[in-house]
Amino acid sequence: MTILGEFALWISLPVAVWGMVLGYAGGRTLRGDLVLSAERSIYAVFGLLLIASLGVGAAFLGDRFEYWYVANYSNANLELFYKVTGLWAGQRGSLLFWAVLLAFFAVITVFTNRKKNREFMPYVAGVLQTILLFFIVVLLFADVNPFERLDFTPADGRGLNPQLQNYWMTIHPPTLYLGFTAFTIPFAFAVAALLNGRLDARWIQLTRRWILTSWLFLSVGIVFGMRWAYEELGWGGYWFWDPVENASLLPWLTATAFLHSIQIQENRGMLKVWNMSLVLVTFLLTIFATFLTRSGLIESVHSFAQELKIAYIFLSFMGTVLAASVVLILYRLPQLRSENQIESFVSRESAFLFNNLLLLGAAFSVMWGTMFPLISEGFTGQEISVGPPFFEKVNFPIGLMLLTLVGVGPVIAWRRATKRNLQKNFTIPVTVGAVTGIGLFAQGIRHELALVTWSISAFVLTVIATEFWKGTRARARIEGEGYVLAFFHLISRNRRRWGGYIVHVGFVMLCIAFAGAAYNTDSRFNVQPGDVVEVESPFGHTYELTYEGLSMSIGRGERNLLWQAIATVSVRRDGVPKGVLTTEKRQYTNRDTQPMTEVGIQSIVQEDLYLILSAMNDTGGALRNDPGAQGIDLQVLIKPLVNWIWIGCLFITLGTVIALWPSIDRTRRPRERVAGATEPAAAGAD
Amino acid sequence: MMFNVGVVLVAAAVVLFILQPLVRGIHASLERDDDELTETEARKRVALLALRDVEYDFLAGKLDEDDYRSLKSELTAEALAALEADEASKAGGAGDEALEAEIARLREALNSGTPCSSCSYSNADGSRFCSACGHALAEAVAG
Repeated sequence: MTILGEFALWISLPVAVWGMVLGYAGGRTLRGDLVLSAERSIYAVFGLLLIASLGVGAAFLGDRFEYWYVANYSNANLELFYKVTGLWAGQRGSLLFWAVLLAFFAVITVFTNRKKNREFMPYVAGVLQTILLFFIVVLLFADVNPFERLDFTPADGRGLNPQLQNYWMTIHPPTLYLGFTAFTIPFAFAVAALLNGRLDARWIQLTRRWILTSWLFLSVGIVFGMRWAYEELGWGGYWFWDPVENASLLPWLTATAFLHSIQIQENRGMLKVWNMSLVLVTFLLTIFATFLTRSGLIESVHSFAQELKIAYIFLSFMGTVLAASVVLILYRLPQLRSENQIESFVSRESAFLFNNLLLLGAAFSVMWGTMFPLISEGFTGQEISVGPPFFEKVNFPIGLMLLTLVGVGPVIAWRRATKRNLQKNFTIPVTVGAVTGIGLFAQGIRHELALVTWSISAFVLTVIATEFWKGTRARARIEGEGYVLAFFHLISRNRRRWGGYIVHVGFVMLCIAFAGAAYNTDSRFNVQPGDVVEVESPFGHTYELTYEGLSMSIGRGERNLLWQAIATVSVRRDGVPKGVLTTEKRQYTNRDTQPMTEVGIQSIVQEDLYLILSAMNDTGGALRNDPGAQGIDLQVLIKPLVNWIWIGCLFITLGTVIALWPSIDRTRRPRERVAGATEPAAAGAD
Repeated sequence: MMFNVGVVLVAAAVVLFILQPLVRGIHASLERDDDELTETEARKRVALLALRDVEYDFLAGKLDEDDYRSLKSELTAEALAALEADEASKAGGAGDEALEAEIARLREALNSGTPCSSCSYSNADGSRFCSACGHALAEAVAG
């Protein structure tokens, strides 16, 4: 199976070349047979890459350590689950995984468009094959072939890095990859539109679902990564501004900008060049993210120098795509003129535009902060680190302005808002925001950033709640429906708008949660069994923690564990017993790593209690089971509001799914469309 | 041996599959769909949706009268232009009755409409409430 997989990867190369050439040629000559062949080549490439992936999977399951990739990311004792997910555990497999996901999406695109939107399909097939070809070339020629064999067969593999043996780490990369690869489809349609000259908003309407799907996977993938960092890295943080995280944030920022700016194009026929540029930039950033995380560049420029081949291939691909797209946009520039002008600075269009500028500003600063140390190290050989302070200084104000816009956008009128419009809609929300701020101040909240964030959040939530209320009320009145029914009908009649608002609520929750970090507490205690320590939380809870003792388990060999020290702590919150938490140190057999920490987390809606076994007083003694060697350093963190990140993520998912949910396609039912457009008046005539 | 046979079979299947359209002359369609919106239709749709949004915003109490009126007359004019452009692009085809009625309705609303007994704003025919002041126009419906 594995050899067949390797072979399939090799045949996919000429097939992708064939499909690429025929796609473009078919678009140029308008010959249906060429196009059909190009489209079929996409199915073929998907099949071949699938066989290749199964080949890698079979190598993992069969413990085929003669393969470099398996030997480095698995061993005989590894749990079955992690063997199955070995495909995306390391660089080589994940590049293949990436390619197969992209091929899968390409197949869906070709299949669903087999009878419609045919004028786009030749070039769409060509572009998709170009990108698939790129990944196949990387896999085969950049020294990252997952099927590369060692000269000898080791008795066992090196095993999987224990930090990656975590549920969240298994689903985080595929989720992100789904987001990255799904964005290739809108890009392919955009390029097809540039090539065939169909430059109205059609390509955007066709790919709106793809854009949203991609955005959803990106968002959820990023949050999964945060969850992993929170649980597994053992210091209670979820975001470091480290290059790998930034790499995933960059396309998210530009995709979010794109998601907003296409609405201006659809509604007002403006920003055509801008949207083309955003789709291009976002696509390039998804490739860049792979490049940054999977090329070895991150670890250090020096180690990177040994992998120049992959860097050259990536950089020349990105350069070519950029140059080709810019040339195409310039070539089509006369047809990309705006149909309208922005009429007023105070209007929904300009709010959208401002949102775009902020998101791009954030993207630029993140890019700069990520690349600067690498560039500087490349030139001077000195390592400089751009730490969280830089990113926070730049991005906190941007984040706050974006948060404010989330509140302003929905109620400001298209075209031009008047002073009355603003007064009418903002009086109550601004008051609520101010009252919240004053109330929190009175409660003793003095952290400025948190205070501002929470006040603005209150303002935004009021705006959104009012929107829902007014909409429901208006509908209930017009249609004579009950409020509950009116509420659901309201959402289902304009899923995009209301789904979007729900996503916004999720975003506000994230902001509220981020600001909660200002009130994190961190205390350390050296404790012996039986000791009780007390910790106050910012929400006024008192945690009484009793250290019950340390239990050691040694050398079971299962799951590659050398030893495991488990500290048990019983928890009382406000005098009420709340169960037992454990926190561990683990030493693995197969990696020369420091002992790993497993934390103990107890969540309530307001806050998390987060316990870390930060050190043992006498590790040697504990391993020998000395009764006197049970003392540990226990670190107790309180994380206010952290759960709202995960809850916010649920809202974001819910809102996006609502916006995505297929409705009966109105564009195909012209009569109903007319009826819908005049709904308020027509409703009265019933 | 088995392996080689497998490889040859996979390769042959792939080659046959992708070459078949060329050899047998099977053509994929490259035509635009009939049921797809034309550019004028798309513009009309956007104009009508914008009109719907303004109605919604006004009914939801987000726009006040004056803003609503000026926006509405502006958008109605645009929608009308879009409808006529669409009509013209259809090159005098059989003519969609619903569309004709729509145009007539909008035109009438612009020109005369049903005057509101309270504020004398001229409303589109079939309105039950005045678009400007919300006053009931019950008689209009009965007719």
